[in-house]
Amino acid sequence: MNEGRQFCHERGRPFLEARALGKTYQVGGATVHALRDVDFTAAQGDFIVINGPSGSGKTTFLNLISAIDRPSHGEVRIQGVSTNELSERQLAGLRKEKIGLIFQTFNLIPVLSAAENVEYPLLLQRLPKAERVSRVEAMLQEVGLGDMARRRPNELSGGQRQRIAVARALITQPKLVLADEPTANLDSETGGQVMELMRRLNEEHCVVFIVVTHDPAVTPYAQRKIRIHDGQLTEGVVA
Amino acid sequence: MTWWIPLRSLVRNRRRTALSIAIVALGTAISFFVYGFLEDSRLQIQASTVSEYGNLQIASPDLWENTADGYEYLIEPAAQAQVRTLLEAHDGLTGITEQLQFPGLLASGNETQVVRITAQVPENDTLTSDGFVVDGRSLQATDVAAVLVGRSLAARLGVGVGDVVTLTLTTVDGAYNATPLQIVGVYRFTSEQVELQRLFMPLSFAQRLLNTSGVDRLVVNLSSIAATDREAAAVQRQLDQAGLPLEARTWYELSPIYQQLSGYFDILFGFLTLAVFILVFFIILQVLTLAFLERTREIGTVRALGTTRGEVFRQLIAESAWLAVLGSLAGILIGGLLGAGFNAIGIEWQPPGTVEASVLSVQINGLTMLPPFLVGVAATLLSSIFPSVQTSRLRVVDALRVE
Repeated sequence: MNEGRQFCHERGRPFLEARALGKTYQVGGATVHALRDVDFTAAQGDFIVINGPSGSGKTTFLNLISAIDRPSHGEVRIQGVSTNELSERQLAGLRKEKIGLIFQTFNLIPVLSAAENVEYPLLLQRLPKAERVSRVEAMLQEVGLGDMARRRPNELSGGQRQRIAVARALITQPKLVLADEPTANLDSETGGQVMELMRRLNEEHCVVFIVVTHDPAVTPYAQRKIRIHDGQLTEGVVA
Repeated sequence: MTWWIPLRSLVRNRRRTALSIAIVALGTAISFFVYGFLEDSRLQIQASTVSEYGNLQIASPDLWENTADGYEYLIEPAAQAQVRTLLEAHDGLTGITEQLQFPGLLASGNETQVVRITAQVPENDTLTSDGFVVDGRSLQATDVAAVLVGRSLAARLGVGVGDVVTLTLTTVDGAYNATPLQIVGVYRFTSEQVELQRLFMPLSFAQRLLNTSGVDRLVVNLSSIAATDREAAAVQRQLDQAGLPLEARTWYELSPIYQQLSGYFDILFGFLTLAVFILVFFIILQVLTLAFLERTREIGTVRALGTTRGEVFRQLIAESAWLAVLGSLAGILIGGLLGAGFNAIGIEWQPPGTVEASVLSVQINGLTMLPPFLVGVAATLLSSIFPSVQTSRLRVVDALRVE
C-alpha cells in the first residue's frame, strides 16, 4: 500500500450512485419491502457511516451497493456502470477489482493462514507470486500483524481477525470498502484501532468507506452520517 | 486457482476426509484384488492354451470350418515347404512344426476309447511334451509305432509305459487300418478331457497309417503371446500374396473355452466394477454434499470477494480430485498388499474338469492397477459433480446468511 500511497486528488469525484433502489422479499405470501426507493450517492474519499435499528434494511442496502445482490427495482451505478447490466461473472469481476468487503463476523477462511487469507483476493487477480508476497507483507505490517502471518484464524484474537479482514478488503487497493458492523465483535480499544486504520486508509488512499454500524464509537469517524429506517435513507448532520 | 487450497480444505475435517479416502480405498482395493486375481487366472489359461495350440496355426479354411469332404484339407509337401519358407523370415518366430490330427479308436483288452491323435515331428521345438511327461519319456525321432497317452486315458484303459495298445483308424482313401502301438510315455495336462482323448505319435508313422504325405496344419510359436495378432496378420498377408489357400488362426480363435472364460471374467469384473462404482458414488455423494453444505458461509464469502461460480466449482472439483487420487492410491496400496499376502500363502484350487490343483494368485502390476484406479477416481469425481454444481450456484447473499 505504501507504494501506491497517494493523497486524495480525486476526492469529491462521484463514485457510486443509487437511484430509486428497492428490494422486496416474499415472506409467506406477503411482500416485505426491505428497501424503498432509495437515492444515494457516494464520492471518492467519502467516509460514510450508516446506522439504523435491526431490520431497517442496512444489510440489504450494503448487499445491493456491493453487487452481491440484485435490486428488485432501481439501479446501482459504480463509476457510471449500472450493475443491472452486468452478468454474474462481470459482477464477480467488479467485486474482485473495485470493492473490499469487511464482515461483522470476519468471515476468514479457516484453513488458510492470516497471510493466505489476505493473499486470497490477489490469487483471484492472478498476480505473480513475488508481487503477492510483497503486498501481503506490506499490508500485514500496515495493520500491525506482521508477526502473525502464519497463524490460522482460530489462533488469533477477535481484533486480530478483524484487522486481517480489513487487510484482505484493502489488499487489492479497492476504490470502495463496505464494512458491516466492523467493530461489533471487538472490545472498544481494538474497535478504535480498526477504525483508526480505516480512517488513515481513507485519508491516504482516497478509498470510499461505507460503514454500517450500531456502535456510537464509530460515528466520530464519519464525514457523512446516514440513517436507515423502514427501508428509507435519511442523511444526517455530522456534528 | 492453486493446487494447495483444495488440499488444505481437505484437512479441515480430518475424520470426514479419512472416511472418504477409506471408502474410495476400500472400493479400489477390492476391485484391484479381484481384477488381479481374474487376470492371473486369465494368464494361466492363456499359457495353457498356447501350450496346447501354439501361438497360431495355419491350415485350410475347410479344416477350420469342418466343410471338407474326407481329408481334402491336407496340405501337400510342396505347399508345406512354401509356408515354411514364408514363416522363417519372421523375427519373432521361435518354432514351426507340421501336425496331423485325426480320430481313431484305441483299444486295450476289452476297453476301447474314442481318441484324437495328434501326430507331429518328435522333438520339435514348438509343441514339446517334455514338461508334461510324468512317466516314461517323450517321443523321439527314432520312434516308429510309439505313442504318448494321457494319464487319465492310461488309467481308464489300465495300461502303462511299455504296454501295447491297438489303434483303429480310417485312411485318407476311406479304408480301415489298425496298428499296434507301444506306449513310451504318459503325460499330464490341466484338462482331464485332453488327457482322456488326445494321444501323440510321430508324424511320419501317422502319415504311413493314413496313407498320405500331407499334414493338416502348421503350428507356429512366437517369442511372445502379445505378438500373436500382429504376426497372424502379417502371415495371412504373405499367404494371400503367395496365392496359398490357407488361413492363419490365433490360439484364442482356436480355443472356444478360452473365449468363453475370458468373456466370463470380463462380465465378472464388469459387475464388480459397477457395484464398487455405485457404492463409492453414493457414499461419496452423501459425504461431499454434507461437507459442502457445512461450508455454505465460506463459499458465500469467497463469492463475495469476487470468486466466480466457475472458480468455486473448479475448486470443489479439485478437492474431490485430491480425494479421488489419494483414495485410489491408498486402495491400490492396500489391494497390492492384500494380493502379495494372498500370493505368499499359496492357496491351491482344483478347477472342475482338471486333474491338477493350481496355485491361486493375484497379478500385481501396472496393467492390473490401472482399471481399478480409474474406477475409483471416476466414481469419486462423478459423485462430486452434483454437490459442486449446487454449491457453486448458491446465491451469495443467501450463502452469507447461513450461520
